[in-house]
Amino acid sequence: MENTTMQRRTASSRTNLFAAVSLLIILGLYLFSSKASGTWLADPKLQLFKTLFISIMLEAMPFILVGVIVSALLHVFVSDAMIRRFIPSNPVLGILTATVLGILFPICECGMVPAIRNLIRKGMPTHVAAAFILVGPIINPIVFWSTFTAFRSHPEMAYMRMGLAFVIAFLVGLIVYRFVRFDPLREAKNAPISHAHEHAHAHHQHHDQHDADHEHSQAHRSGKIAEVMGHAVSEFFDMGKFLLIGAILVGLLQTFVSNADLMALGHGPGSSNALMMVLGFMLSLCSTSDAFVAQSFLNTFDKGALLAFMVFGPMLNLKSLLMMLAVFKARFVLIIGACVTVLVYVGSLLVLN
Amino acid sequence: MIRWKPAFTEAFDHSFKGLILIGFAALILYLWQTGDMLLYIAPDLVPYVVAASVVLLALAGSQFRLAARSLREKVVVCDCGHDHEHDHGAAGHRQGGTRLLLKKSGIYGLFLLPLLLGAALPNTAFAGALAVNKGMNMGAVPVDDGKADLELVELEGNVDSGLKELFRTQPYNLDYAKLGMLLYQQDLIEMKDQWFIEKLEAINRFVDNFQGKTIQITGFVYRDKQLPGGQLIVGRMAMTHCIADIAPYGMIVETPSADDYANDTWITVTGTIGKTQAGGRDIMKIVATDIEAAEPSAVPYVYPDINFASKL
Repeated sequence: MENTTMQRRTASSRTNLFAAVSLLIILGLYLFSSKASGTWLADPKLQLFKTLFISIMLEAMPFILVGVIVSALLHVFVSDAMIRRFIPSNPVLGILTATVLGILFPICECGMVPAIRNLIRKGMPTHVAAAFILVGPIINPIVFWSTFTAFRSHPEMAYMRMGLAFVIAFLVGLIVYRFVRFDPLREAKNAPISHAHEHAHAHHQHHDQHDADHEHSQAHRSGKIAEVMGHAVSEFFDMGKFLLIGAILVGLLQTFVSNADLMALGHGPGSSNALMMVLGFMLSLCSTSDAFVAQSFLNTFDKGALLAFMVFGPMLNLKSLLMMLAVFKARFVLIIGACVTVLVYVGSLLVLN
Repeated sequence: MIRWKPAFTEAFDHSFKGLILIGFAALILYLWQTGDMLLYIAPDLVPYVVAASVVLLALAGSQFRLAARSLREKVVVCDCGHDHEHDHGAAGHRQGGTRLLLKKSGIYGLFLLPLLLGAALPNTAFAGALAVNKGMNMGAVPVDDGKADLELVELEGNVDSGLKELFRTQPYNLDYAKLGMLLYQQDLIEMKDQWFIEKLEAINRFVDNFQGKTIQITGFVYRDKQLPGGQLIVGRMAMTHCIADIAPYGMIVETPSADDYANDTWITVTGTIGKTQAGGRDIMKIVATDIEAAEPSAVPYVYPDINFASKL
């Protein structure tokens, strides 16, 4: 116990260091652009950064709220036994269930990460969770429809996107099932929730704390709602800081790195696929909108590269990577990330040749 | 067990979180009220974000309730293995306290940053500055690798059969054929906020049909490196979801006075449609007959409408 507390403390202080460094970078940018005093507020780069930052935050807000509330509801109302009953113990069937879950809960990765943490705590097997986290942002009706309409002249793109995502999630699920033998969560399983910055919130009113005149059942029900809200808020702040850091980094990247410069780096069949994957990682777009962006590259790159962009981006991007690191052990994220990178690259090359 | 006393730190913590949540809700509602929200996200998304602000307010309320309660009674630490930062050895207590304070201010600072930025800096629309980073889309028709022999179809419905013949196309292009026919029959094709991208795509898909047609477009001036003298690009920025996915769309305008117009200024161009080459493919150009300075559009961006055909 002592040990895990220590670990957690170093991990969270690393996070803080990261946050502090990010803030310093911003400050540096402020000062950097203040060649003439007073004009830095109007600096176009700063404006651009601010707009990107707030835009990404606004866009993610509804999704992350859904995510933390679903997570809190799961924590309070769903028992471990229910989860275990729902997910087949056979690994293949389990992974297939995960892909169906994605269709039922069309939320993007901002909402996915907090929910998945609770599901794992409740006993969802790691391989199922891994498949779910990869497939959820891609295999769902909204994403299919937006891809289909963005590529109306190439309807096969939508099918290939779904198909490739499915195959990759399935393979990663199997790899995780076969090789991952440790608890993927950053904190130990017997400590279901850790809010490093949080002291206490109203969870269970112990019976001896009840006022004598409280109606028992009523106190219980309002207690449950308060519990859900308390959990949702602490998870909002827990995940929110990673989302904000992600938004800052994406904002900085898009402000200072131009796509056009990137494009110049590679045009061969192999290098363009890698390039589009890097772009997908950097842009951190929502999976429902990235098809339109991909579509605008139709004249620049072949379809395999665009497919790589649309499959890799939602599975692994700057914003989601930070959120995943908040929840999972770095080792687990590394395994998933490496598998996804290799599989998307190989898959997107194979599919169209 | 330590004897219970009013938990001022916890009350402060909860209230502060409540305030931050209210701040986010206020930022959302303010942007919504002033209409500036469209500078950040697409109209489709606005209802969801506004609904999120209501949820934020409810959550903020729960935090204040919690704060009030933690002063009144002992709010029992939950059974779920919290990290009790204040709970380490007496010797390290003071040091832990300062570290905790630092850490908390770091996290709260991070959450305050968007609120401060949102309050301190004016909301602006972006045009050319971002277009440079993104690369201009000019509606060049994607290559139909091997699908050119696909059977061409005509639109159904009671349209003039000669016109239908002109707009024969692959089945997946029928939506654009429908829009193209509509534009074809207009004396003046106007490129405005609505269906800017869709019209651009429709004209480029049937560029031969539109030769010599009169067109009017309002947008910002943009130039890229390959553009020869006597030409400029008039474009609009298109947003699907949020600023991160913004992309510029535009048309090449040919005019001897191209150098008179600075980048990022807004102009209205009237002219006839011609043809030029870009990236090895035929795309449209506008041979300008009249160029006037224009006000930037009240709607900052154009938004792709995936269901445009059903609204024609």
